[in-house]
Amino acid sequence: MANKTVLFKIKRQTTPTSEPFWEEFEIDYRAGLNVISLFMEVALKPLTRDGKATTPVNYDSNCLEEVCGSCAMLINGRARMACSALVDNLEQPITIEPFSKFPVVRDLQVDRSVLFENLKTVKAWVPVDGTYSLGDGPRQLPQVQEQAYQLSQCMSCCCCMESCPQFNESTGFVGAATIAQARLFNMHPTGKVLKEERLAALMGDGGIQECGYAQNCVEACPKEIPLTKSISDVGGDVMKKAVLDFFRL
Amino acid sequence: MASTAQTPGTTLPKGVAPLRAGQGSSFLWRRLHSLTGIVPVGLFLLEHFLSNAEALSGPAAYNAQVKFLTGLPFRLGLEIIGVFIPLLFHALYGIYIWWRGENNVIDYPWAGNWGYTLQRYTGMLVFFYVGFHLWTMRFTGVHLTEHYQASFWKVQSELSHPLILGFYVLGVLASAWHFGYGCFLFAAKWGIVTGPKAQNRARLAGIGLAVVLMLAGLASLYSFVGKYPEQQRNPMWDLHNDAAEQSRLTPAATVGVAR
Repeated sequence: MANKTVLFKIKRQTTPTSEPFWEEFEIDYRAGLNVISLFMEVALKPLTRDGKATTPVNYDSNCLEEVCGSCAMLINGRARMACSALVDNLEQPITIEPFSKFPVVRDLQVDRSVLFENLKTVKAWVPVDGTYSLGDGPRQLPQVQEQAYQLSQCMSCCCCMESCPQFNESTGFVGAATIAQARLFNMHPTGKVLKEERLAALMGDGGIQECGYAQNCVEACPKEIPLTKSISDVGGDVMKKAVLDFFRL
Repeated sequence: MASTAQTPGTTLPKGVAPLRAGQGSSFLWRRLHSLTGIVPVGLFLLEHFLSNAEALSGPAAYNAQVKFLTGLPFRLGLEIIGVFIPLLFHALYGIYIWWRGENNVIDYPWAGNWGYTLQRYTGMLVFFYVGFHLWTMRFTGVHLTEHYQASFWKVQSELSHPLILGFYVLGVLASAWHFGYGCFLFAAKWGIVTGPKAQNRARLAGIGLAVVLMLAGLASLYSFVGKYPEQQRNPMWDLHNDAAEQSRLTPAATVGVAR
């Protein structure tokens, strides 16, 4: 009797501009396999299912415990982390693709620098840099800390953006992660000094208005960050600012 | 977060553009689209469903309601500024929004995503339906601002064709859903309801409103096709109501006054 195996296919791409192609693999089943371990098996024995020699699969990964956000990809069509995608829970053949809305670097590795650009645009930081010590910051209330902690878990995996129907080249929507980070730093007693600037940035083209409230972001988020609450919350702040600006500016 | 190295001579795929802070006016237009859906378009929809429900009380009550509405001061101005322009803007900008979205409900078949998808399809259906409805009821046929007595008859004879009746049923269902769910979307996007519990309540309230409007709309349609007997056409309705026409029609009366 043949051993139990795992069947999977990977959408691969050699260079950022070359055409993608599919390769099928079959490996021996082991208990507790995750998708990353499938790539490790391929690297050990780089042969496709029909015995053709190939190269190890290129992919981003780091922590392997769903906290670093590197190994996000499309697994059976859904945006999720490869490290926490257990083979036992996946329908076979498992299809593995790079994110579809980010430029491919190679194979499953994509360029997610748009998120970094967006975080910089909304100034997602606490401005305390200077040449002398400013002393202790103001105290944060524990209930504010609790809310902030949820938001601070964002690991920039971009699953919320990949799964969002409004995040595409036509809208250039900023995406849920950046809006949640703007909320995080607007909540911070020192960070809120930049609140007006963050809200103003989110009113530019591709800003918060492009949200269509499909709510995929909050479903797809591996860290269960309250993304729709953040969008509504910041949406309200932005509207208040817009109305006040209309009458007072 | 790897970044692609630029090789001279090749154009790399750029991907989605970053946020353009301080640029463009899409915020204003998008929020105006959201607002017009509630006021005045949504408000008009409520009035329209309520007015049509007068049909449940019979042809006379329905015709009287049309008389009241068509007799409002500045009727044409109210129609153009309160209904036609906002409706056209909401419809056209809505199509633009749909065209820019990238529907993925097949890959992510979640409730919110279905809501997103349905909002687009119902919007498009309502766009075609309202276009047809305006053309046949407002712009062609017996003019109801001049012959309000013809109102019940006009709707009834329109609905006598089963295909048109079917289109009306679809139009009523789609517009009720689009408005009800749209109220939830408005409340969520404008930061009126933010948390998951509150949003669940708001979603239910929006869907509840949609269902109430659907039932009211279907009941109104029923009063035209089944509840009340067929109305008779009056040839007077084909004539215009201005003074010249009046005098041409009733020369004896006019002459009588002159003498």
